[in-house]
Amino acid sequence: MTAPSPRRTPPHAGADAALGDAIESLLATASATEIPPADVCLKLARAFQRAGDRGAACRWATRVVDAGDDFAAWRGAAAVVAACGDAPQARRRARVAVLGSYTTTQYAQLLRLAALRVGVALEVHDAPYGQYRQELLDPASGTRAFAPDLVVLATHEGELALPEMADDPGAAVAAELRRWTSLWDAAGEAGARVVQHTFAIPPETATGHLGAKLPGSRYAMSRALDARLGEAAAAAGPHVALLDCERLAGQFGKERWFDPRYWHLAKQAVALDALPLLARHTAALIAAQLGLSRKCLVLDLDNTLWGGIVGEDGLAGIRLGAGSPEGEAYVAFQEYVLALKRKGVVLAVCSKNNEADALEPFERHPEMRIRREDVAMFVANWETKSDCIRAIARGLDVGLDAIVFVDDNPAERQVVRELLPEVDVVPMPPDPAHYARALSRYLLFETSAFTAEDAARTAQYRARAEIATAEASAGSIEQFYRGLAMRARIAPFDAVDLPRIAQLVGKTNQFNLTTRRHGLPQLEAFARDPSCVHLSLRLRDRFADHGLVGVLIALGAGDSLEIESWLMSCRVIGRTADAAMLAALSRRALARGYRSLRGIYRPTPKSGLVRDLYAGFGFTPAGERDGATTWVYDLAARGPIESPYIELTEVGTETDDDRRQDGASAA
Amino acid sequence: MTDGRTVHRRLEDIFRIVFNDDAITLTDEMTAADVPGWDSLEHINVMFSIESAFGVQFDAAGLAAFENFGALERYLAEHGR
Repeated sequence: MTAPSPRRTPPHAGADAALGDAIESLLATASATEIPPADVCLKLARAFQRAGDRGAACRWATRVVDAGDDFAAWRGAAAVVAACGDAPQARRRARVAVLGSYTTTQYAQLLRLAALRVGVALEVHDAPYGQYRQELLDPASGTRAFAPDLVVLATHEGELALPEMADDPGAAVAAELRRWTSLWDAAGEAGARVVQHTFAIPPETATGHLGAKLPGSRYAMSRALDARLGEAAAAAGPHVALLDCERLAGQFGKERWFDPRYWHLAKQAVALDALPLLARHTAALIAAQLGLSRKCLVLDLDNTLWGGIVGEDGLAGIRLGAGSPEGEAYVAFQEYVLALKRKGVVLAVCSKNNEADALEPFERHPEMRIRREDVAMFVANWETKSDCIRAIARGLDVGLDAIVFVDDNPAERQVVRELLPEVDVVPMPPDPAHYARALSRYLLFETSAFTAEDAARTAQYRARAEIATAEASAGSIEQFYRGLAMRARIAPFDAVDLPRIAQLVGKTNQFNLTTRRHGLPQLEAFARDPSCVHLSLRLRDRFADHGLVGVLIALGAGDSLEIESWLMSCRVIGRTADAAMLAALSRRALARGYRSLRGIYRPTPKSGLVRDLYAGFGFTPAGERDGATTWVYDLAARGPIESPYIELTEVGTETDDDRRQDGASAA
Repeated sequence: MTDGRTVHRRLEDIFRIVFNDDAITLTDEMTAADVPGWDSLEHINVMFSIESAFGVQFDAAGLAAFENFGALERYLAEHGR
């Protein structure tokens, strides 16, 4: 990290005033449009950079990303970001090594800009082109010394060792597949996650259409390899992400994606004007890997889910469904939204309407695709949209930075952008025929894995919104807890749960005592270590099955069992699930002969919630170091911690397996 | 696209953006060697930026085909949009 450089004193006040005037005039131009044009954003970024305001310079530079995919403007904005050093608006940081089979210098620069747009400050190591294998395998390489959190394998079709025609295509594809997956293994051993580019196939295909039906053609083998890479990445789990370049190249237009002049001149395998698109998608995958995907889509109703205004036009007057192109377009949009919901996005409604009017189409319109039960929280009233979105965030217990807002009305979008800058607002086109595509351009619903929890999420969040309402009238908190009839299942890590565990470890911010972002390989190592106590918690109640929501890792330290990591999904905060986990942990600790539990709290800006957690369970403070506090619970004197409100089912306790013999017993 | 600026001015703006340096001024006699920070990578960035801004395509030799900026400017005045 570089220290902020002191503001340069302007040579004379006249230049300062001129710069100020230029900024004022540019800001006026920018505010005239919903999405200011790229050149205006870039000029503002550069003007603020000259004025010494690095925060504003970075903000305007990242707005170039929203203004389109113009390479020159992106490159200029990337230069501003590079010159400004540490970006103040970043939510997370990551070290990324870009390993290319072609020149990746510009791609790496643009990637930094695109990542900052989605809240990630990247430190990028751009390895020499064509050296990706040595860089990963050689322990003395620059990449290994850089110790990346994540490796981007930017590879192109020309790099494939596939003949134009093979006698044994199966063997050729299998050998090529091993060549790439072995690199993923090497990255995993170096502690890095992987983003692998798939191999976009160039338009020059000598075999023509015949290539598609000849398994031995290079064309068919390249396609087969892409499919096999998908299977291999799925088997490898969430720490390997595929960037589907074949899809992006098709979307961009392959004759533009592949520009042979730039390949011959500078070994650019992807045309420079395709790099902004490629960088945006890469940044979205990196954000997903870091757990920054957005969870909740908040939808307006009138002219967003149907044509017309239900409160004025009436149920029969709104345009929805077969019969008009407009009505069909709204159905297509609803179906796209439902596909997002199936992928794990939670839906909420925020509409300026009388609630009864707003609900009527959901209950009675035969062409509605989205049903009331698809919506986790339904807010229809006459409050401002920003207040309603705040209420939705509270009701669903998600951060504003997990919310994406869709509204046909530009004025409402602008209000939300200004009052709730953490919320992402999708710029919707005027014609509903383009709604689905506009939303599909929004990339932060990208996730690194698909789990059963994702598919069931809306039901869980909906139950939570209902509970939030019930809570207000539940009398005492004890009555509320008992009324929930909560049951927890606590078990050691296993292979089926590890992807979900890794997802939670990667993204949980609030209830997280130590915020150690272990990757899948490290979690697997914990699971194999017989001296490690590793617990996952699943919670269900009368309303919903919350799925796997708690993770705890503890390691022996003398006669004490130390809690290395402990985190729980914010869905179950305030439900005494923490007591359930400590109860299970303390029983297991006693069975292994430990005399005390040690807890550590390493504070982060988001984890203030658990600052006093250990004190609440009777732990006593035992020192502070580098801001982290240590807490001790005397098991021998006080006995195990109780879980008064949650019925526990414990799996893999010392009595039903053979860990007692080889567990680290200190007694 | 020409928005009233001269070819010279548009070319200068491209260089200022690519090199993130508003002090850059171009003269007819200048060559790449006179631009601070010019290397093979920036050559590609400048070349591509000029191609997209002026709607031209240089041949394989790229910008090296031009003797100096004056020659490049005359070419763009004739062939660029």
